[in-house]
Amino acid sequence: MAIGSARVGSIPVAVGGRIRELFDREWILGPAFVTPALLFLGLLVAYPFAMAIYMALSNSFIGRPSEFIGLQNFVKLWSSDAFRQTFQNAFVFTGISVAFKLVLGITLALLLNQQLWFKRMIRGAVLLPWVIPTALSTLGWSWMFDSLYSVINWTGINMGLLDPPGPNWLGQKYYAMAAVITVNVWRGLPFFAITILAGLVSIPKELYEAGEADGAGPAARFWYITLPLLKPVLAIVILFSTIFTFSDFNIVYVLTRGGPINSTHLFATLARQVGLESGQIGMGAAISLYLFPVLVFVVWAQLRFVRRQAY
Amino acid sequence: MHLLLVPFLVFALFPFYHMTLTSLKSDQELYDRYSVPLLIRQGPTLEHYAKLLWDTAFVTWTMNSLTVTLLATTVSVAVGTIAAYALARLKFFGVASFGTLIFVTYLVPTSLLFLPLAQVVNWVGLADSKWALVLTYPTFLIPFSTWLLMGYFRTVPKEVEECAMVDGATRVQALVRIVLPMAIPGLVCAVLFAFTLSWNEFIYALTFTSSSEQITASVGITSELIRGDIFYWGQLMAGAVLGSVPIVILYVFFLDYYVSGLTAGAVK
Amino acid sequence: MGSETRRQFLTTTGVGLAGILATRVPPARGQQREISYLCWNNFAPASDKKLAEIGQRFTKDTGIKIKIDHIAHAQQAAKYASEVQTQAGHDLVEMRMHFPWLYEPQLVDVSDLVAELEKKHGKILSSGYEAAHVKGVWRAAPQYHALFTATYREDLFKKAGLKVPDTWEDLYTVGKELKKMGNPVGIPISQNYDTISTGSAVLWCYGAREVEKDGKTVAINSPQTAEVLEWFKKMFRDCMDPEVLSWNDASNNQNIQAGKAGWVHNPVSAYLVAKNKKLVTADGINHHRSLAGPGGRHEIDVPRSIAIWKFSKNVEPAKEWIRYLLGKREVYDEYIMSGDAFNLPVFANLQDHPVLKTDPKYAGLKGEGVQYHIYGWPAPPSDKIQQITNAFILPNMIAKAVTGTPTKEAIAWAEKEMKTILAG
Repeated sequence: MAIGSARVGSIPVAVGGRIRELFDREWILGPAFVTPALLFLGLLVAYPFAMAIYMALSNSFIGRPSEFIGLQNFVKLWSSDAFRQTFQNAFVFTGISVAFKLVLGITLALLLNQQLWFKRMIRGAVLLPWVIPTALSTLGWSWMFDSLYSVINWTGINMGLLDPPGPNWLGQKYYAMAAVITVNVWRGLPFFAITILAGLVSIPKELYEAGEADGAGPAARFWYITLPLLKPVLAIVILFSTIFTFSDFNIVYVLTRGGPINSTHLFATLARQVGLESGQIGMGAAISLYLFPVLVFVVWAQLRFVRRQAY
Repeated sequence: MHLLLVPFLVFALFPFYHMTLTSLKSDQELYDRYSVPLLIRQGPTLEHYAKLLWDTAFVTWTMNSLTVTLLATTVSVAVGTIAAYALARLKFFGVASFGTLIFVTYLVPTSLLFLPLAQVVNWVGLADSKWALVLTYPTFLIPFSTWLLMGYFRTVPKEVEECAMVDGATRVQALVRIVLPMAIPGLVCAVLFAFTLSWNEFIYALTFTSSSEQITASVGITSELIRGDIFYWGQLMAGAVLGSVPIVILYVFFLDYYVSGLTAGAVK
Repeated sequence: MGSETRRQFLTTTGVGLAGILATRVPPARGQQREISYLCWNNFAPASDKKLAEIGQRFTKDTGIKIKIDHIAHAQQAAKYASEVQTQAGHDLVEMRMHFPWLYEPQLVDVSDLVAELEKKHGKILSSGYEAAHVKGVWRAAPQYHALFTATYREDLFKKAGLKVPDTWEDLYTVGKELKKMGNPVGIPISQNYDTISTGSAVLWCYGAREVEKDGKTVAINSPQTAEVLEWFKKMFRDCMDPEVLSWNDASNNQNIQAGKAGWVHNPVSAYLVAKNKKLVTADGINHHRSLAGPGGRHEIDVPRSIAIWKFSKNVEPAKEWIRYLLGKREVYDEYIMSGDAFNLPVFANLQDHPVLKTDPKYAGLKGEGVQYHIYGWPAPPSDKIQQITNAFILPNMIAKAVTGTPTKEAIAWAEKEMKTILAG
């Protein structure tokens, strides 16, 4: 905070024009600053979104005229086996993935925050999964899980950890779910680790010193200093990641196409199967919007929490 | 400490190692089911890279990816920064609802949104053009960067800014000279993630562009190297490696800057 | 509709602007006509090159410029949906499976064109007809087809003195031996299209079907289906490895190329890749005719066709291109030859095509008097039938049966799912 005032002295006194004065008024500057964002989103999201909602409420079928049918798609979906399975999968997939990413992400961030050799290289390495184009990295994983060439099974068998021929990764319900979750955690972990790291370094060192002086051990310091101060960052990270993970498409599409017997289908993959491949655009839109109200509520609740933390 | 990092590094790096290995193996070894998947025994080959670089338009696609990503990131982070500042700091009519509204747009599922969005792209005359991507990527980048930066701006103490303004700086000057430098970690984070999100984007790129001169790397590679029931594994993985290494290097320097900027501030 | 014309107006100006931006040349009077064609990236890369070359000649001969774009077949659905939704994009698109039915209201009637082609090259094969002849009208011009054939390791069969199977039951007999030799049969049982292909063929050969010819009555619950499931169960138990539950469309190819599988059901791509990549297994692989059952010999086929979007402003030049590519015997031959026996002629009189003589191993591909069908047969491929296909009901019924669900229950499940779709 000393930095701030030290630098302020060097700022030349403003020779204010009228416009500049106007821009100093919050009620003008504020709206002016949010306008570009609102324009972008208003023009490019509002219309498509309204259209998507309309589609979900219609019997829209590719290339045919459509009619408004109210909530029929939503009702019908609930009686579909595949959809209910998907519903369940989405929660299992998101819940487990986010939990793993959170725990591993905090651990990794704490480790990265230490004095390390090869700091640069380690950070770069940790970031790698996040950087490889997803469309290609998931292909790489499907090659690693390949039933014939699986490097995972080969290594496991040769280390004596697995009995040959090793698990049928993408062909059995639980293994397939484990596989898609693993890939999701792999790809999402850097996001958690780096963002949490950024949160960690912003915690003033004095607090830890004070804690140490009061006789708090490492566990206590983590629990009473680090975690509470990380809360706002964690909340935002979890929020983003939950939304991301919920709407994940690529991993399942490449690895299992929803199989075996729909046990890994997610909303996005099922929506594609129904809405695009089968042409039932209305039904597909309904699948992808099914949880929108719930998500809005969750986000609203979580944002309130974040705001309370921040002020 | 370093020992604890090992499992994380193995987890992060092993798939990449395997992809690199795959890209360097000859087809004969790659498709030999008795070969050791962890090593190259029959000598490495650059034939997959050569094919990718000379037989396909990979370079053009990568340039397209880069152009789109850089522009979309710049626009989004700039727009996100000022919006975030306003939402975090300024008091004006409707500030809270603007914030929520921006966030909610983030929830709109993209899995089918691309259909009506394609119409919008057509109306503005950008069909089959990479500029359509520069225009549409901010729709998912702005909410993200706005929210991320809001958090960082809030961590900059209000007093610092107020001091500056007491000393005669305008609010905009205070923002540029005081608040932004202090929010560098946040800005770097926003840039990194915006960059990655657009670098990885697939469905908009697929549907809004089709000419070989306009498509991005992910789309180009998958549509050139997955042919029906044939996967050109060697070249696909070569594409994955070439598509990520330059970015990683960029990231490492960025990250370094972000960490050093931070510690410098703390030392002073 | 008022909004329709407005939209069209906007689209037109939009496309025009984009065109100008892209080429930086303002449109001049009497400028060349130009069409665009979106096709899948052909399995044989040489075929794509040939197509580009033919395109250049076409421009020289007719003065019509053509722009050819490629897309992976897995992405076709998304791309086509977006072109239909925006009423803009390419003039010509390549169709596979039931696409002509799916996009029917958006496709130009090309019956006159197909009549011309049939006059030149003979009748279109049954599968091509089933796929592109929609409600009495040709919505696309059949282009070529890729049949599912039996691909087997002839060398291993000879060494072990195994008889080349002729029926699915024979396959069980040799399959048991193959598995003992460590070279199991490879038929995928997962959520992919190869499973639907082989599953459908077996279903028909046993006299079973998913939906009756009327397209309305679910017929899956039959003693014949039960027989099929029993066959799959014993195949899965005695002739295959559980890995087939995880397979994607590429897995059976890779499996036989790697020297593991002894028998797979697939288009010739498995052999072609082995040959092109010079894999050791290539010499031992050969093909024989797809198998028969108590209900006869029915083969699954993957025909492809070319269609013209109704929103295209260049319907005539687009037709010109189809005429050029498919109607000119020498061009068509050249095109087929570049496809390396993967793309086979779809016309009756061209069945004995020179491409089949380029390699002795293509002899088994000659389909004379074959009953080719597409997914869902004998029901006409309506929007509902293709929903049944795309929901992977058949593969999942088989997967359920082989992983422990009682046959009856698996069939009842499939019946319920199919009925739901037909009712909705």
